[in-house]
Amino acid sequence: MTLSIAAIDSKRPKCQLRRTIITYWLVSIAAIAVDNIYAIFGHGVRSPAMTWMFLYPLLGGGLVFLLIKLLFPQSIKASGYRLFYNVYNSGIAALTTGSFLKGILDIAGTSSPYTAVYYITGGLFIAAGLIILLYIILQYKNKGNSLKCVN
Amino acid sequence: MIKFFSKPYRWTVIFTLLLTMSFIFVLLDTFVIPKSIQSVETEPTDTEKAAPELNKSAVVITDNIYKDENIKITIETYREYDTTIYVADVQLTDAAYLKTALAGNTYGRNITEKTSAIAAAHNAVLAVNGDYYGFRDYGYVLRNGTVYRNIARSAGDDEALLVDEEGNFSVFHESQAGIESLYNKNPWQIFSFGPALVKNGQIMVDSTSEISGKSMRSNPRTAIGQISSLHYIFIVSDGRTNESAGLSLFELAQEFKEKDCITAYNLDGGGSSTMYFNGEVINNPTDGRRIKEREVSDIVYCGY
Repeated sequence: MTLSIAAIDSKRPKCQLRRTIITYWLVSIAAIAVDNIYAIFGHGVRSPAMTWMFLYPLLGGGLVFLLIKLLFPQSIKASGYRLFYNVYNSGIAALTTGSFLKGILDIAGTSSPYTAVYYITGGLFIAAGLIILLYIILQYKNKGNSLKCVN
Repeated sequence: MIKFFSKPYRWTVIFTLLLTMSFIFVLLDTFVIPKSIQSVETEPTDTEKAAPELNKSAVVITDNIYKDENIKITIETYREYDTTIYVADVQLTDAAYLKTALAGNTYGRNITEKTSAIAAAHNAVLAVNGDYYGFRDYGYVLRNGTVYRNIARSAGDDEALLVDEEGNFSVFHESQAGIESLYNKNPWQIFSFGPALVKNGQIMVDSTSEISGKSMRSNPRTAIGQISSLHYIFIVSDGRTNESAGLSLFELAQEFKEKDCITAYNLDGGGSSTMYFNGEVINNPTDGRRIKEREVSDIVYCGY
């Protein structure tokens, strides 16, 4: 999921962020498609975990990066942005994958203790990513830099 | 290390690889890798030792009847609800002839065999698939008097069937009864699937009932019921084919009610649903694409 958005173009932050948001939206659409296709082969059996997995990339990914684009577009130039970007995207990827996996197991009528690992890992990565983002924003503010959108 | 990962794509490639590998591992661990936990004791139990010698000259076998001095089974096949339904009417002289068997004579996860293979290995006259205990980590497993798993399912999805040493059925909630508290009922078998279809002669499901509330209404089904002491009904229905739509739980319950069952309980269905009689599979088990018998972890059978 994160492969295609991994190269950061810090000279054109808005363009880079737009690409990230569009990619997340495409992943959300793919997640909805996967759920519907899987339901056809699963004799109509559905799992809430699989049905709602599109929300991770849509809200956790697309919405968060949309807010960054609107409010803090210059954060992309900060030295810690790459770390935030990798860690946060990994969190969304782990949560989406975990949800997909739980959906597969739910539909089959079974479970695995390992699915919890995805949710814990994803949650930790996202928390760490948001802390790094907060640190970047505070650093900018302390330096007196404007974080307003530069069109 | 931060410098190493700050290069474009490095972190992404490594993390994606780890995620993919872990995903494959969990699927293999859940669905494929066999985990043997306990072998089945092959020493005959007290009830098996007490079983009388069979007079083979008195055995009657036809396409739909098996009859000897201890076991009488009549198979009836008919169409109802756009579905082919297979009903076995079973009368026994002793509960010891109502048995269960585990695939490979082993309790564990992902240890499976076809219903017909397990049945043939145990000289079963009649067999149906069981509750497929090996696909889950929860739910009591007690077979032929031996406890294999004492982990209860959580409330809301925890109706289990107890068959005592007299062969009588009763339904209980696992979350409300520790397995030790059931010992005074002399349990011979416990099945952990459900739901109960009939209790005290009353249908316990309605037209909206479904397993976990999420699967299709009509499916291949397997269920067992009791009419009176040592008199049982086994029902298997086809489904998911052009010829047979399958049954809802309510329709299945109605079948048991019409046959005067006082207790009836749903077992694993779908692709698992199989009925074996006199050495042959008599229904049409399917995975939804073709007629094919699925491997399961356990069976319920009548035999010696």
